[in-house]
Amino acid sequence: MGSIQAIRHEEVLRYLGYRGQEISDDLMGEVLSCETEMLTHAKPKSVFCIFDRIDTHDGIALSGTTLVLGGHDVREHLANCTKVVLLAATLSSDVDRLIASAQVESMTKSLILDAAADALIEQVCDEIESEIHTKMQNMHATWRFSPGYGDFPLSLQNEILTVLNAQKRIGLCATDSYLLTPRKSVTAVIGLSETELPKKQSGCETCSMRETCTFRKRGERCVW
Amino acid sequence: MFGNESNLLFLDGAMGTMLQKNGLELGEKPEVLGITAPEQIQTIHRAYLEAGANIVYANTFGANRHKLEGCGYSVAEIVSAAIKNAKIAAQDFGARVALDIGPIGQLLEPIGTLRFEEAYDIFREMVVAAEEADLIVVETMTDLYEAKAALLAAKENSTKPVFVTMTFEENGRTFTGCSVSSMAMTLCQADAIGFNCSLGPKDLVPLVEELARFTDRPIIVKPNAGLPNLADNTYDINPQEFASQVQLLCNAGATIVGGCCGTTPDYIREMKETLTIGTRKSREKIAAVCSARQTVMINCPCVIGERINPTGKKRFQQALREHDIDFILSQASEQIRAGAEILDVNVGLPGIDEKAMMVEVIKALQGITDAPLQIDSTKPEVIEAALRVYNGKAIVNSVNGEEASLSQILPIVARYGAAVVGLTLDENGIPKTAEERVAIAERIITRAKEYGIPKEDVFIDCLTLTASAEQAGVYETLKALKAVKERFGVKTVLGVSNISFGLPSRELVNANFLTMAMTYGLDLPIINPNIASMMGAVRAYHLLMNHDENATRFIAAYGGETSAPTQITTAKEIHDIPYCVAQGLKAECADLVRAMLETVDPMVVVNKQLIPALDTVGTRFEKGEVFLPQLIRSAEAASAGFEAIKEAIAKSGIAQEEKGKIIVATVKGDIHDIGKNIVKVLLENYGYTVIDLGRDVPPETVVETAVKQNVALVGLSALMTTTLGSMEETIRQLRAAGHNCKIMVGGAVLTPEYAEKIGADHYAKDAKRAVDIAKEVFGK
Repeated sequence: MGSIQAIRHEEVLRYLGYRGQEISDDLMGEVLSCETEMLTHAKPKSVFCIFDRIDTHDGIALSGTTLVLGGHDVREHLANCTKVVLLAATLSSDVDRLIASAQVESMTKSLILDAAADALIEQVCDEIESEIHTKMQNMHATWRFSPGYGDFPLSLQNEILTVLNAQKRIGLCATDSYLLTPRKSVTAVIGLSETELPKKQSGCETCSMRETCTFRKRGERCVW
Repeated sequence: MFGNESNLLFLDGAMGTMLQKNGLELGEKPEVLGITAPEQIQTIHRAYLEAGANIVYANTFGANRHKLEGCGYSVAEIVSAAIKNAKIAAQDFGARVALDIGPIGQLLEPIGTLRFEEAYDIFREMVVAAEEADLIVVETMTDLYEAKAALLAAKENSTKPVFVTMTFEENGRTFTGCSVSSMAMTLCQADAIGFNCSLGPKDLVPLVEELARFTDRPIIVKPNAGLPNLADNTYDINPQEFASQVQLLCNAGATIVGGCCGTTPDYIREMKETLTIGTRKSREKIAAVCSARQTVMINCPCVIGERINPTGKKRFQQALREHDIDFILSQASEQIRAGAEILDVNVGLPGIDEKAMMVEVIKALQGITDAPLQIDSTKPEVIEAALRVYNGKAIVNSVNGEEASLSQILPIVARYGAAVVGLTLDENGIPKTAEERVAIAERIITRAKEYGIPKEDVFIDCLTLTASAEQAGVYETLKALKAVKERFGVKTVLGVSNISFGLPSRELVNANFLTMAMTYGLDLPIINPNIASMMGAVRAYHLLMNHDENATRFIAAYGGETSAPTQITTAKEIHDIPYCVAQGLKAECADLVRAMLETVDPMVVVNKQLIPALDTVGTRFEKGEVFLPQLIRSAEAASAGFEAIKEAIAKSGIAQEEKGKIIVATVKGDIHDIGKNIVKVLLENYGYTVIDLGRDVPPETVVETAVKQNVALVGLSALMTTTLGSMEETIRQLRAAGHNCKIMVGGAVLTPEYAEKIGADHYAKDAKRAVDIAKEVFGK
């Protein structure tokens, strides 16, 4: 990590629900300074491993591990893929502390920092993806699919973290209700295929979050 | 007892690496093999023992109830089988067996949801099951709080020696930001302390050197075999290189050595054959306190902020009575911003459960600030409870020369490795002369030493008398201060503000007395750092005494100011309250409200100025003319106005009209609280009394509070599909309790339909809607 020079400003505004309202210089200044502060405090760390895919009765197993990816949606996501990447990334607990302490002085600041962190963790994941692309140039990759999407169970969170040894390597754990801690973190599955993959996957039509998505409620779309 | 100066003590190498070579799959629980394949485990132990290990770690690293869940065996079964396997192997070698305790696998509060007390209990279970072990090792910890819980559990439930090692990154910190000095001071009760995993051996050299400055205990190193290659799980240095690098660590003072990830018996054998003991530099005496992430070295005056204290502060008393933790936290961050390095914490007030409040406030404070804390209470049980949950080395304020005070409080201070303030008074009161106070100081220092508290950890307070009442006594205090410092070489502490009680121009007197006291040797002034002249005196002192090299800090603080303002500033634009609310101008809004309160009734200011201004912003938000940060900014500006009103009302003592009580909570299992907090700010702005139960709140707590405080509206928030279940359960329990209240729910994954389905009365799509619901429920 470390090659991220700036947080994508438009993304931060989008997470804050911005829709072209007039923003005072003062507020814009606060957004920009929060982005800088977030970038200074975040200590992005990530780990990923590439496994061979083994189809079993219960789902897609990953070679050399006990992990079986269950559910219909992940199977669809990994269609035609022969290898599976597990990845975990976090901005570290300093970010949680920064957001929590900001809340004491200013909810506004805390809210903006929170949005900046959301934007940054996505950028971090994008970086890992391009690293994977570079490493596996002859293969085609799917987009990131995380526990909790569709019928891909959140309860796999702990096992994914164990297989990646994520607590030891990047300090990432999950709570009893499978929330990742530190909070600004991601785990995901990416499929690798030797043949080109159809482009249809992203979009609200195929998204299992469509009924409850905050962006959709506001009449917007998320990054996909 | 272990790893003394004359011999190196050899630990084993990696267990996991060996098991993976034997075909252990990722995700498998290696601890189960102790029961299903004991031979395999014994063989690995034996290989390390043959290589020369004096101590082997039993295969119990993850044998805690959280990690073993679902494996089919209990903690006791796995632990005792593992110890037995190690013992069988060790008996032929006369080697010792350690219970190995690794991280639980869940993060502790405040980042995670695992409570400190639960973590303690999880470790206790392991310790109790390991009766046959010779010693206990806590390792691979990255959270100092978790390491502390494990150390306490080991020390309090066994008599075995306890080793603790933590895992650091290249920047000299753990994942959670813990520094080497904080580890050394906070875990001072460990019998040996050091590092494992982390980095390759040579990268640990500066860390071992730093550790040797802060501890007298034997130092342990158990590094990885260099850096990992993640693709094939191998490490980059061979046994010879490893041993030659570990020699550097021995030269820096490490005496207990072993290997972590990637090491095999060959690495241990090579070390055993080649390593020689180094000479550890004798440790300099350091006076310091710390939180998990910040060490304050007391080698020139450091400010202790005094504002977290209800004495004489009506608004603070009100916050304690109303359980308004946020207000207390705001006092902390304000003082830190002003320049306090340590915060005094006093929450004693008649009618308040001081112990419970102290624990809650300490936990909340360490979630938002890195400043070390000073526990201010006279009650031993409050002090002990506070030190137990404090993640760092705190100061206890205070003991005095009375034997009852010394014999009650010093053992607690010693047990937790804290520092202590010693007041130079006793059963006869405050002595008049400096000499008598010095004598009491000596008594305190001597008694502390008897309990094992070194004099670096005793801070003597020679007590400030009020100049208006005892003018001649002022100089006695200064004389005593100087004498105590010179004669005993201890650090000194003094509450400064009392000096001016009853005098005009108190600030003037305070600041001058502070400068005098620092010149006489005061190290720890307890002051209100928010008063500019007080911090100014400290900063100027640092500058003039050459503590502040190149005046860097002084210029950073005052560089923007010119000594003689000559330019004419343009007249400031005058705004009104609605404008300030609309634009989110916090300070200006509070000033305008204060000014208006001089002539206008508080409720008129609220109802004619603040509320209409908020309504306007709320409507614009609904229409999409402003977006969320703008709404919150306005709400915060209004809050600043309301705070001014609260102050005025608290001062006047007139009871406030209560508009209605509302509970807000993020449900059990969920830790997202920004949305809930936004709702809280807005509801408070509209004059409702909000009881904020926080996040991860069990249904029982919601029900109990709702019933006990007769709350008519409950707001529940959940952000994850997985926690909607606990929202439903909370509603079910509220209904089952027969308590008559309305329930509103909100959160990203909720829909109006779902809210109705789980039995909520209202769905609040945003904070503005939550206010509208409150208005409907309370009819105002």
